[in-house]
Amino acid sequence: MTVAEENREDAPGEGAGDPLELRDIVKYYEKPGQGRVLVLDEIDLVVEEGAFVSLLGPSGCGKTTLMNVVAGLVEPNAGTMRRGGRDVSPEDLSLGYIFQEPRLLDWKTVAGNLEFALEARDVPESEWDERIERYLSMVGLADEGDNYPSRLSGGMKQRVAIARALATEPEILLMDEPFSSLDEITARDLREELLDIWQREQKTVLFVTHDINEAAFLSDYIYMMSHGGEMFARREVGIDRPRNYDDPAIAQRETELYREFHEHVVK
Amino acid sequence: MSLLVLWYLGGVVAPESIPGVLATLDALVVVLTTPGPYGNMFYYHVWKTAEMLFVTLAVSMVLGTVVGVALGTNELLESAVSSWIYAWLAIPSLVIVFLSAVWIGFDARSGYFAVPAVITPFVALNMWEGARTLDPQLAEMAAFFDAGRYQTFTDVILPQLVPFLFASVRSALSIGWKITLLVEAFLVTRGVGFMFRRYFDQYDLTTMMSWLIIFVVLLVVIEYGILAPLHERVTAWRPDADGVRVTE
Repeated sequence: MTVAEENREDAPGEGAGDPLELRDIVKYYEKPGQGRVLVLDEIDLVVEEGAFVSLLGPSGCGKTTLMNVVAGLVEPNAGTMRRGGRDVSPEDLSLGYIFQEPRLLDWKTVAGNLEFALEARDVPESEWDERIERYLSMVGLADEGDNYPSRLSGGMKQRVAIARALATEPEILLMDEPFSSLDEITARDLREELLDIWQREQKTVLFVTHDINEAAFLSDYIYMMSHGGEMFARREVGIDRPRNYDDPAIAQRETELYREFHEHVVK
Repeated sequence: MSLLVLWYLGGVVAPESIPGVLATLDALVVVLTTPGPYGNMFYYHVWKTAEMLFVTLAVSMVLGTVVGVALGTNELLESAVSSWIYAWLAIPSLVIVFLSAVWIGFDARSGYFAVPAVITPFVALNMWEGARTLDPQLAEMAAFFDAGRYQTFTDVILPQLVPFLFASVRSALSIGWKITLLVEAFLVTRGVGFMFRRYFDQYDLTTMMSWLIIFVVLLVVIEYGILAPLHERVTAWRPDADGVRVTE
Protein backbone atom coordinates (compact mmCIF):
# COMPACT_ATOMS: atom_id res chain seq x y z
CA MET A 1 0.00 0.00 0.00
CA THR A 2 1.68 3.12 -1.19
CA VAL A 3 -1.26 5.28 -2.12
CA ALA A 4 -1.70 6.62 1.39
CA GLU A 5 1.82 7.93 1.48
CA GLU A 6 1.74 9.81 -1.79
CA ASN A 7 1.62 13.54 -1.66
CA ARG A 8 -1.59 15.32 -2.43
CA GLU A 9 -1.02 18.53 -4.29
CA ASP A 10 -4.55 19.78 -4.02
CA ALA A 11 -5.17 18.67 -0.45
CA PRO A 12 -8.19 20.73 0.66
CA GLY A 13 -9.26 21.66 4.16
CA GLU A 14 -7.27 21.84 7.30
CA GLY A 15 -5.66 18.72 8.66
CA ALA A 16 -5.72 17.00 5.29
CA GLY A 17 -3.13 14.26 5.21
CA ASP A 18 -3.86 13.29 8.78
CA PRO A 19 -6.12 10.34 9.54
CA LEU A 20 -9.72 10.98 10.55
CA GLU A 21 -10.22 9.61 14.05
CA LEU A 22 -13.51 8.85 15.74
CA ARG A 23 -13.39 8.29 19.50
CA ASP A 24 -16.00 6.76 21.80
CA ILE A 25 -18.91 7.43 19.50
CA VAL A 26 -22.20 6.59 21.21
CA LYS A 27 -25.63 6.68 19.61
CA TYR A 28 -28.89 5.48 21.10
CA TYR A 29 -32.56 5.98 20.34
CA GLU A 30 -35.36 6.22 22.86
CA LYS A 31 -38.06 3.81 21.80
CA PRO A 32 -41.44 3.87 23.51
CA GLY A 33 -41.90 0.68 25.52
CA GLN A 34 -38.35 -0.53 24.93
CA GLY A 35 -36.40 2.19 26.65
CA ARG A 36 -33.00 3.04 25.30
CA VAL A 37 -31.81 1.15 22.21
CA LEU A 38 -28.05 1.29 21.75
CA VAL A 39 -26.96 1.60 18.12
CA LEU A 40 -23.31 2.58 18.48
CA ASP A 41 -21.46 1.43 21.60
CA GLU A 42 -18.34 3.55 22.19
CA ILE A 43 -16.96 3.14 18.71
CA ASP A 44 -13.36 3.98 17.83
CA LEU A 45 -12.51 4.29 14.16
CA VAL A 46 -9.47 5.50 12.26
CA VAL A 47 -9.73 6.34 8.57
CA GLU A 48 -6.24 6.69 7.12
CA GLU A 49 -5.69 9.21 4.36
CA GLY A 50 -5.98 7.52 0.97
CA ALA A 51 -7.02 4.19 2.43
CA PHE A 52 -9.91 1.93 1.47
CA VAL A 53 -11.62 1.19 4.76
CA SER A 54 -14.61 -1.11 5.18
CA LEU A 55 -17.17 -1.35 7.95
CA LEU A 56 -18.29 -4.97 7.89
CA GLY A 57 -21.13 -6.48 9.86
CA PRO A 58 -24.58 -8.07 9.70
CA SER A 59 -27.68 -6.05 8.87
CA GLY A 60 -28.80 -3.81 11.70
CA CYS A 61 -25.42 -3.68 13.46
CA GLY A 62 -25.21 0.11 13.21
CA LYS A 63 -22.61 0.41 10.44
CA THR A 64 -24.73 2.75 8.32
CA THR A 65 -25.48 4.85 11.40
CA LEU A 66 -21.76 5.11 12.05
CA MET A 67 -21.16 6.32 8.52
CA ASN A 68 -24.01 8.81 8.83
CA VAL A 69 -22.27 10.20 11.91
CA VAL A 70 -19.24 10.90 9.71
CA ALA A 71 -21.56 12.34 7.03
CA GLY A 72 -23.28 14.62 9.51
CA LEU A 73 -26.70 13.07 8.86
CA VAL A 74 -26.81 11.56 12.37
CA GLU A 75 -25.85 13.47 15.50
CA PRO A 76 -24.07 11.17 18.01
CA ASN A 77 -25.01 11.31 21.70
CA ALA A 78 -21.36 11.23 22.73
CA GLY A 79 -17.90 10.98 21.25
CA THR A 80 -15.53 13.11 19.21
CA MET A 81 -14.26 13.28 15.69
CA ARG A 82 -10.66 14.49 15.42
CA ARG A 83 -8.13 15.13 12.75
CA GLY A 84 -4.56 16.35 13.07
CA GLY A 85 -5.03 16.95 16.78
CA ARG A 86 -8.14 19.09 16.35
CA ASP A 87 -11.83 18.44 16.80
CA VAL A 88 -13.62 18.45 13.46
CA SER A 89 -17.28 18.38 12.51
CA PRO A 90 -18.72 16.86 9.31
CA GLU A 91 -18.92 20.35 7.76
CA ASP A 92 -15.12 20.62 7.98
CA LEU A 93 -14.68 17.48 5.89
CA SER A 94 -14.83 17.19 2.15
CA LEU A 95 -17.26 14.32 1.63
CA GLY A 96 -19.12 12.53 -1.14
CA TYR A 97 -21.89 10.03 -0.41
CA ILE A 98 -22.99 7.08 -2.53
CA PHE A 99 -26.12 5.59 -1.06
CA GLN A 100 -27.39 2.04 -1.26
CA GLU A 101 -30.00 3.25 -3.76
CA PRO A 102 -28.91 5.62 -6.55
CA ARG A 103 -31.23 8.34 -5.18
CA LEU A 104 -31.27 10.21 -8.47
CA LEU A 105 -33.75 12.91 -9.41
CA ASP A 106 -35.68 11.05 -12.10
CA TRP A 107 -37.03 14.29 -13.62
CA LYS A 108 -33.54 15.58 -14.36
CA THR A 109 -31.19 14.27 -17.01
CA VAL A 110 -28.05 12.42 -16.02
CA ALA A 111 -26.04 15.64 -16.47
CA GLY A 112 -28.79 17.54 -14.61
CA ASN A 113 -28.33 15.25 -11.62
CA LEU A 114 -24.64 16.12 -11.50
CA GLU A 115 -25.51 19.78 -11.86
CA PHE A 116 -27.82 19.47 -8.87
CA ALA A 117 -24.90 18.46 -6.65
CA LEU A 118 -22.56 21.06 -8.17
CA GLU A 119 -25.11 23.83 -7.61
CA ALA A 120 -25.80 22.65 -4.06
CA ARG A 121 -22.07 22.68 -3.31
CA ASP A 122 -21.67 26.18 -4.81
CA VAL A 123 -19.28 25.07 -7.55
CA PRO A 124 -18.92 27.96 -10.05
CA GLU A 125 -21.13 27.38 -13.08
CA SER A 126 -18.18 27.85 -15.44
CA GLU A 127 -16.70 24.57 -14.18
CA TRP A 128 -19.84 22.48 -14.53
CA ASP A 129 -19.50 21.29 -18.13
CA GLU A 130 -15.91 20.25 -17.71
CA ARG A 131 -16.58 18.37 -14.49
CA ILE A 132 -19.69 16.66 -15.84
CA GLU A 133 -17.81 15.46 -18.89
CA ARG A 134 -14.83 14.31 -16.88
CA TYR A 135 -16.73 12.33 -14.25
CA LEU A 136 -19.32 10.86 -16.59
CA SER A 137 -16.53 9.49 -18.77
CA MET A 138 -14.80 8.22 -15.65
CA VAL A 139 -17.77 5.98 -14.88
CA GLY A 140 -18.20 5.08 -18.56
CA LEU A 141 -21.36 7.12 -19.20
CA ALA A 142 -19.93 9.88 -21.40
CA ASP A 143 -22.78 9.51 -23.91
CA GLU A 144 -25.63 9.39 -21.42
CA GLY A 145 -25.57 13.00 -20.21
CA ASP A 146 -28.84 13.91 -21.94
CA ASN A 147 -30.63 10.70 -21.04
CA TYR A 148 -33.07 10.33 -18.16
CA PRO A 149 -32.19 8.02 -15.25
CA SER A 150 -35.45 6.10 -15.64
CA ARG A 151 -34.14 4.78 -18.96
CA LEU A 152 -30.94 3.41 -17.44
CA SER A 153 -30.30 0.01 -15.86
CA GLY A 154 -29.70 -0.36 -12.13
CA GLY A 155 -25.93 -0.57 -12.59
CA MET A 156 -25.85 2.52 -14.80
CA LYS A 157 -27.92 4.47 -12.28
CA GLN A 158 -25.41 3.60 -9.57
CA ARG A 159 -22.62 4.78 -11.90
CA VAL A 160 -24.43 8.12 -12.19
CA ALA A 161 -24.60 8.28 -8.39
CA ILE A 162 -20.85 7.63 -8.23
CA ALA A 163 -20.19 10.34 -10.83
CA ARG A 164 -22.41 12.74 -8.85
CA ALA A 165 -20.38 12.13 -5.70
CA LEU A 166 -17.07 12.43 -7.57
CA ALA A 167 -18.14 15.63 -9.34
CA THR A 168 -18.07 17.56 -6.08
CA GLU A 169 -14.43 16.41 -5.85
CA PRO A 170 -14.54 15.18 -2.28
CA GLU A 171 -11.56 13.95 -0.35
CA ILE A 172 -13.44 11.10 1.31
CA LEU A 173 -16.04 8.95 -0.43
CA LEU A 174 -18.68 7.42 1.82
CA MET A 175 -20.29 4.36 0.28
CA ASP A 176 -23.21 2.54 1.90
CA GLU A 177 -23.58 -0.94 0.39
CA PRO A 178 -23.64 0.67 -3.05
CA PHE A 179 -23.55 -2.60 -4.98
CA SER A 180 -25.80 -4.76 -2.79
CA SER A 181 -28.90 -4.35 -4.93
CA LEU A 182 -27.10 -5.11 -8.20
CA ASP A 183 -26.66 -8.49 -9.80
CA GLU A 184 -23.31 -10.11 -9.08
CA ILE A 185 -21.86 -9.66 -12.59
CA THR A 186 -22.65 -5.94 -12.68
CA ALA A 187 -21.43 -5.57 -9.10
CA ARG A 188 -18.07 -7.19 -9.88
CA ASP A 189 -17.44 -4.90 -12.83
CA LEU A 190 -18.28 -1.88 -10.71
CA ARG A 191 -16.04 -3.00 -7.84
CA GLU A 192 -13.06 -3.29 -10.16
CA GLU A 193 -13.80 0.10 -11.69
CA LEU A 194 -14.19 1.60 -8.24
CA LEU A 195 -10.71 0.37 -7.29
CA ASP A 196 -9.32 1.91 -10.48
CA ILE A 197 -10.93 5.26 -9.74
CA TRP A 198 -9.90 5.15 -6.09
CA GLN A 199 -6.25 4.61 -6.97
CA ARG A 200 -6.15 7.03 -9.89
CA GLU A 201 -7.95 9.84 -8.06
CA GLN A 202 -6.30 9.16 -4.71
CA LYS A 203 -9.52 9.22 -2.76
CA THR A 204 -10.12 7.94 0.73
CA VAL A 205 -13.03 5.49 0.83
CA LEU A 206 -15.17 4.50 3.79
CA PHE A 207 -17.23 1.55 2.61
CA VAL A 208 -20.12 -0.10 4.43
CA THR A 209 -20.95 -3.71 3.53
CA HIS A 210 -22.31 -6.98 4.90
CA ASP A 211 -20.52 -8.96 2.17
CA ILE A 212 -17.29 -10.45 3.55
CA ASN A 213 -15.95 -11.30 0.11
CA GLU A 214 -16.57 -7.78 -1.13
CA ALA A 215 -14.78 -6.31 1.90
CA ALA A 216 -11.81 -8.65 1.45
CA PHE A 217 -11.50 -7.84 -2.25
CA LEU A 218 -11.77 -4.06 -1.86
CA SER A 219 -10.30 -3.00 1.44
CA ASP A 220 -6.95 -2.16 2.93
CA TYR A 221 -8.37 -2.85 6.37
CA ILE A 222 -11.71 -3.83 7.78
CA TYR A 223 -13.58 -2.88 10.93
CA MET A 224 -15.83 -5.66 12.12
CA MET A 225 -19.08 -4.90 13.88
CA SER A 226 -21.70 -7.09 15.52
CA HIS A 227 -25.22 -6.53 16.83
CA GLY A 228 -25.79 -3.87 19.43
CA GLY A 229 -23.41 -1.43 17.80
CA GLU A 230 -20.30 -3.16 19.07
CA MET A 231 -17.08 -2.91 17.09
CA PHE A 232 -14.90 -5.87 18.00
CA ALA A 233 -11.95 -5.97 15.63
CA ARG A 234 -9.83 -4.20 13.07
CA ARG A 235 -8.16 -6.48 10.55
CA GLU A 236 -5.71 -5.75 7.76
CA VAL A 237 -6.49 -7.53 4.52
CA GLY A 238 -2.84 -7.69 3.55
CA ILE A 239 -3.19 -8.82 -0.05
CA ASP A 240 -1.14 -7.06 -2.74
CA ARG A 241 -2.83 -4.94 -5.37
CA PRO A 242 -3.89 -5.14 -8.10
CA ARG A 243 -6.07 -7.90 -6.77
CA ASN A 244 -7.75 -10.61 -8.76
CA TYR A 245 -11.19 -11.94 -8.00
CA ASP A 246 -10.02 -15.52 -8.46
CA ASP A 247 -7.04 -15.11 -6.15
CA PRO A 248 -7.25 -17.95 -3.58
CA ALA A 249 -5.77 -15.55 -1.02
CA ILE A 250 -9.01 -13.55 -1.07
CA ALA A 251 -11.14 -16.64 -0.55
CA GLN A 252 -8.77 -17.65 2.24
CA ARG A 253 -9.10 -14.24 3.91
CA GLU A 254 -12.87 -14.40 3.54
CA THR A 255 -12.95 -17.75 5.36
CA GLU A 256 -10.81 -16.43 8.20
CA LEU A 257 -12.92 -13.33 8.62
CA TYR A 258 -16.11 -15.37 8.55
CA ARG A 259 -14.75 -17.70 11.23
CA GLU A 260 -13.91 -14.74 13.39
CA PHE A 261 -17.44 -13.37 13.03
CA HIS A 262 -18.91 -16.73 13.82
CA GLU A 263 -16.80 -17.25 16.93
CA HIS A 264 -17.54 -13.79 18.15
CA VAL A 265 -21.27 -14.19 17.78
CA VAL A 266 -21.41 -17.72 19.26
CA LYS A 267 -19.10 -16.96 22.17
CA MET B 1 -71.85 11.23 -31.40
CA SER B 2 -74.34 8.80 -29.87
CA LEU B 3 -74.96 11.43 -27.19
CA LEU B 4 -75.89 13.89 -29.92
CA VAL B 5 -78.34 11.39 -31.39
CA LEU B 6 -79.86 10.80 -27.95
CA TRP B 7 -80.19 14.54 -27.44
CA TYR B 8 -81.87 14.91 -30.85
CA LEU B 9 -84.34 12.10 -30.11
CA GLY B 10 -85.05 13.60 -26.67
CA GLY B 11 -85.81 16.92 -28.28
CA VAL B 12 -88.28 15.25 -30.64
CA VAL B 13 -90.01 13.10 -27.98
CA ALA B 14 -90.14 15.63 -25.11
CA PRO B 15 -89.71 19.11 -26.59
CA GLU B 16 -91.02 20.82 -23.43
CA SER B 17 -88.11 19.55 -21.26
CA ILE B 18 -85.33 19.00 -23.79
CA PRO B 19 -84.58 21.74 -26.33
CA GLY B 20 -84.12 20.56 -29.90
CA VAL B 21 -80.67 20.34 -31.42
CA LEU B 22 -81.40 22.63 -34.33
CA ALA B 23 -83.19 25.21 -32.16
CA THR B 24 -80.20 25.23 -29.83
CA LEU B 25 -77.85 25.79 -32.74
CA ASP B 26 -79.99 28.73 -33.83
CA ALA B 27 -79.89 30.15 -30.30
CA LEU B 28 -76.15 29.61 -30.21
CA VAL B 29 -75.73 31.66 -33.35
CA VAL B 30 -77.88 34.43 -31.85
CA VAL B 31 -75.83 34.40 -28.63
CA LEU B 32 -72.55 34.40 -30.50
CA THR B 33 -73.50 37.28 -32.79
CA THR B 34 -75.48 39.59 -30.50
CA PRO B 35 -73.48 42.76 -29.93
CA GLY B 36 -72.48 43.65 -26.38
CA PRO B 37 -70.26 46.03 -24.40
CA TYR B 38 -66.99 44.55 -25.70
CA GLY B 39 -67.52 43.28 -29.21
CA ASN B 40 -70.06 40.51 -28.78
CA MET B 41 -72.24 39.83 -25.76
CA PHE B 42 -71.08 36.26 -25.30
CA TYR B 43 -67.49 37.42 -25.22
CA TYR B 44 -68.15 39.85 -22.36
CA HIS B 45 -69.97 37.32 -20.17
CA VAL B 46 -67.64 34.43 -20.84
CA TRP B 47 -64.69 36.72 -20.17
CA LYS B 48 -66.14 37.86 -16.83
CA THR B 49 -66.81 34.28 -15.75
CA ALA B 50 -63.38 33.10 -16.89
CA GLU B 51 -61.75 36.02 -15.10
CA MET B 52 -63.36 35.13 -11.77
CA LEU B 53 -62.71 31.44 -12.32
CA PHE B 54 -58.99 31.74 -13.08
CA VAL B 55 -58.12 34.43 -10.57
CA THR B 56 -59.76 32.43 -7.80
CA LEU B 57 -58.20 29.22 -9.13
CA ALA B 58 -54.73 30.76 -8.91
CA VAL B 59 -55.35 32.02 -5.39
CA SER B 60 -56.68 28.64 -4.28
CA MET B 61 -53.81 26.71 -5.84
CA VAL B 62 -51.23 28.78 -3.99
CA LEU B 63 -53.08 28.75 -0.67
CA GLY B 64 -54.05 25.08 -0.92
CA THR B 65 -50.52 23.99 -1.87
CA VAL B 66 -48.96 25.90 1.02
CA VAL B 67 -51.50 24.52 3.52
CA GLY B 68 -51.35 20.99 2.09
CA VAL B 69 -47.55 20.74 1.99
CA ALA B 70 -47.33 22.22 5.48
CA LEU B 71 -49.79 19.60 6.74
CA GLY B 72 -48.02 16.75 4.99
CA THR B 73 -44.58 17.64 6.28
CA ASN B 74 -45.35 18.81 9.82
CA GLU B 75 -46.92 16.27 12.14
CA LEU B 76 -47.73 18.78 14.86
CA LEU B 77 -49.66 20.95 12.42
CA GLU B 78 -51.29 17.88 10.93
CA SER B 79 -52.76 16.72 14.23
CA ALA B 80 -53.88 20.26 15.10
CA VAL B 81 -55.43 21.35 11.81
CA SER B 82 -56.49 18.24 9.87
CA SER B 83 -59.94 17.92 11.47
CA TRP B 84 -60.65 21.56 10.56
CA ILE B 85 -60.03 20.78 6.90
CA TYR B 86 -62.68 18.07 6.99
CA ALA B 87 -65.09 20.41 8.80
CA TRP B 88 -64.43 23.06 6.16
CA LEU B 89 -65.10 20.54 3.38
CA ALA B 90 -68.42 19.68 5.03
CA ILE B 91 -69.83 23.23 4.71
CA PRO B 92 -72.18 23.32 1.70
CA SER B 93 -70.90 25.65 -1.01
CA LEU B 94 -74.32 27.29 -1.24
CA VAL B 95 -74.04 28.34 2.41
CA ILE B 96 -70.59 29.82 1.74
CA VAL B 97 -71.95 31.81 -1.20
CA PHE B 98 -74.89 33.15 0.85
CA LEU B 99 -72.66 33.97 3.81
CA SER B 100 -70.19 35.91 1.67
CA ALA B 101 -73.11 37.88 0.18
CA VAL B 102 -74.23 38.83 3.69
CA TRP B 103 -70.71 39.64 4.86
CA ILE B 104 -69.33 41.35 1.79
CA GLY B 105 -72.24 42.42 -0.37
CA PHE B 106 -74.17 41.57 -3.50
CA ASP B 107 -71.33 42.12 -5.95
CA ALA B 108 -68.33 40.44 -7.54
CA ARG B 109 -66.15 40.85 -4.44
CA SER B 110 -68.20 38.18 -2.69
CA GLY B 111 -67.36 35.85 -5.54
CA TYR B 112 -63.65 36.46 -5.16
CA PHE B 113 -64.04 35.43 -1.55
CA ALA B 114 -66.57 32.61 -1.90
CA VAL B 115 -64.94 30.64 -4.74
CA PRO B 116 -61.49 30.29 -3.09
CA ALA B 117 -63.25 29.56 0.21
CA VAL B 118 -64.93 26.58 -1.43
CA ILE B 119 -62.11 25.14 -3.53
CA THR B 120 -59.01 25.78 -1.38
CA PRO B 121 -59.70 22.82 0.95
CA PHE B 122 -59.99 20.49 -2.04
CA VAL B 123 -56.57 21.61 -3.23
CA ALA B 124 -55.16 21.41 0.28
CA LEU B 125 -56.48 17.87 0.72
CA ASN B 126 -54.88 16.80 -2.55
CA MET B 127 -51.51 18.41 -1.87
CA TRP B 128 -51.57 17.06 1.67
CA GLU B 129 -51.88 13.59 0.22
CA GLY B 130 -49.04 14.43 -2.19
CA ALA B 131 -46.75 15.76 0.51
CA ARG B 132 -47.12 12.48 2.39
CA THR B 133 -45.65 10.60 -0.58
CA LEU B 134 -42.46 12.71 -0.66
CA ASP B 135 -39.39 10.47 -0.68
CA PRO B 136 -37.38 10.90 2.56
CA GLN B 137 -34.34 9.33 0.87
CA LEU B 138 -34.21 12.11 -1.71
CA ALA B 139 -34.60 14.66 1.07
CA GLU B 140 -31.61 13.08 2.84
CA MET B 141 -29.60 13.13 -0.39
CA ALA B 142 -30.38 16.84 -0.91
CA ALA B 143 -29.47 17.58 2.71
CA PHE B 144 -26.18 15.73 2.35
CA PHE B 145 -25.18 17.75 -0.69
CA ASP B 146 -26.10 20.94 1.23
CA ALA B 147 -28.88 21.98 -1.16
CA GLY B 148 -30.55 25.15 0.08
CA ARG B 149 -34.26 25.52 0.82
CA TYR B 150 -35.05 27.06 -2.55
CA GLN B 151 -33.11 24.48 -4.57
CA THR B 152 -34.60 21.65 -2.53
CA PHE B 153 -38.11 22.99 -3.14
CA THR B 154 -37.78 23.55 -6.89
CA ASP B 155 -35.59 20.55 -7.79
CA VAL B 156 -36.64 17.89 -5.28
CA ILE B 157 -40.06 18.62 -3.72
CA LEU B 158 -42.05 20.30 -6.51
CA PRO B 159 -41.32 17.67 -9.20
CA GLN B 160 -42.58 14.95 -6.86
CA LEU B 161 -45.83 16.90 -6.42
CA VAL B 162 -46.51 17.41 -10.15
CA PRO B 163 -49.16 14.66 -10.47
CA PHE B 164 -50.95 16.05 -7.43
CA LEU B 165 -50.74 19.61 -8.76
CA PHE B 166 -52.43 18.57 -11.99
CA ALA B 167 -55.09 16.58 -10.15
CA SER B 168 -55.69 19.65 -7.98
CA VAL B 169 -56.00 22.04 -10.91
CA ARG B 170 -58.45 19.75 -12.64
CA SER B 171 -60.73 19.24 -9.66
CA ALA B 172 -60.45 22.89 -8.59
CA LEU B 173 -61.35 23.99 -12.11
CA SER B 174 -64.45 21.83 -12.30
CA ILE B 175 -65.68 22.68 -8.81
CA GLY B 176 -64.65 26.32 -9.15
CA TRP B 177 -66.66 26.81 -12.30
CA LYS B 178 -69.82 25.54 -10.62
CA ILE B 179 -69.33 27.87 -7.66
CA THR B 180 -68.59 30.78 -9.98
CA LEU B 181 -71.93 30.12 -11.69
CA LEU B 182 -73.73 30.05 -8.34
CA VAL B 183 -72.21 33.40 -7.42
CA GLU B 184 -73.12 34.89 -10.77
CA ALA B 185 -76.65 33.51 -10.68
CA PHE B 186 -77.37 34.83 -7.20
CA LEU B 187 -75.22 37.87 -6.63
CA VAL B 188 -74.20 39.69 -9.81
CA THR B 189 -75.61 40.80 -13.15
CA ARG B 190 -72.97 39.58 -15.56
CA GLY B 191 -71.25 36.35 -16.49
CA VAL B 192 -72.46 33.00 -17.75
CA GLY B 193 -74.18 32.21 -14.43
CA PHE B 194 -76.26 35.38 -14.72
CA MET B 195 -77.18 34.39 -18.28
CA PHE B 196 -78.41 31.04 -17.00
CA ARG B 197 -80.62 32.75 -14.43
CA ARG B 198 -81.92 35.29 -16.89
CA TYR B 199 -82.97 32.68 -19.42
CA PHE B 200 -84.22 30.39 -16.66
CA ASP B 201 -86.51 33.22 -15.50
CA GLN B 202 -87.81 33.44 -19.08
CA TYR B 203 -87.99 29.63 -19.23
CA ASP B 204 -85.81 29.76 -22.36
CA LEU B 205 -84.20 26.35 -22.18
CA THR B 206 -82.77 26.61 -25.70
CA THR B 207 -80.67 29.67 -24.94
CA MET B 208 -79.56 28.20 -21.60
CA MET B 209 -78.39 25.15 -23.50
CA SER B 210 -76.40 27.26 -25.96
CA TRP B 211 -74.63 29.04 -23.08
CA LEU B 212 -73.86 25.69 -21.52
CA ILE B 213 -72.32 24.55 -24.80
CA ILE B 214 -70.10 27.64 -24.98
CA PHE B 215 -68.65 27.11 -21.54
CA VAL B 216 -68.26 23.35 -21.77
CA VAL B 217 -66.38 23.85 -25.04
CA LEU B 218 -64.16 26.40 -23.30
CA LEU B 219 -63.32 23.98 -20.46
CA VAL B 220 -62.61 21.14 -22.88
CA VAL B 221 -60.31 23.44 -24.86
CA ILE B 222 -58.49 24.34 -21.65
CA GLU B 223 -58.03 20.66 -20.80
CA TYR B 224 -56.82 19.51 -24.20
CA GLY B 225 -55.22 22.76 -25.32
CA ILE B 226 -53.36 23.69 -22.14
CA LEU B 227 -53.46 21.17 -19.28
CA ALA B 228 -52.89 17.91 -21.16
CA PRO B 229 -49.94 19.16 -23.29
CA LEU B 230 -48.41 20.84 -20.25
CA HIS B 231 -48.77 17.66 -18.21
CA GLU B 232 -47.16 15.69 -21.00
CA ARG B 233 -44.28 18.14 -21.19
CA VAL B 234 -43.38 18.20 -17.52
CA THR B 235 -43.59 14.42 -17.22
CA ALA B 236 -41.53 13.70 -20.34
CA TRP B 237 -38.89 12.05 -18.13
CA ARG B 238 -41.20 9.19 -17.20
CA PRO B 239 -40.05 5.80 -18.53
CA ASP B 240 -43.30 5.13 -20.43
CA ALA B 241 -42.86 8.26 -22.56
CA ASP B 242 -42.24 7.56 -26.25
CA GLY B 243 -42.81 3.89 -25.54
CA VAL B 244 -39.26 3.58 -24.24
CA ARG B 245 -38.75 0.59 -22.02
CA VAL B 246 -36.69 0.53 -18.89
CA THR B 247 -33.64 -1.63 -19.31
CA GLU B 248 -33.50 -3.21 -15.89
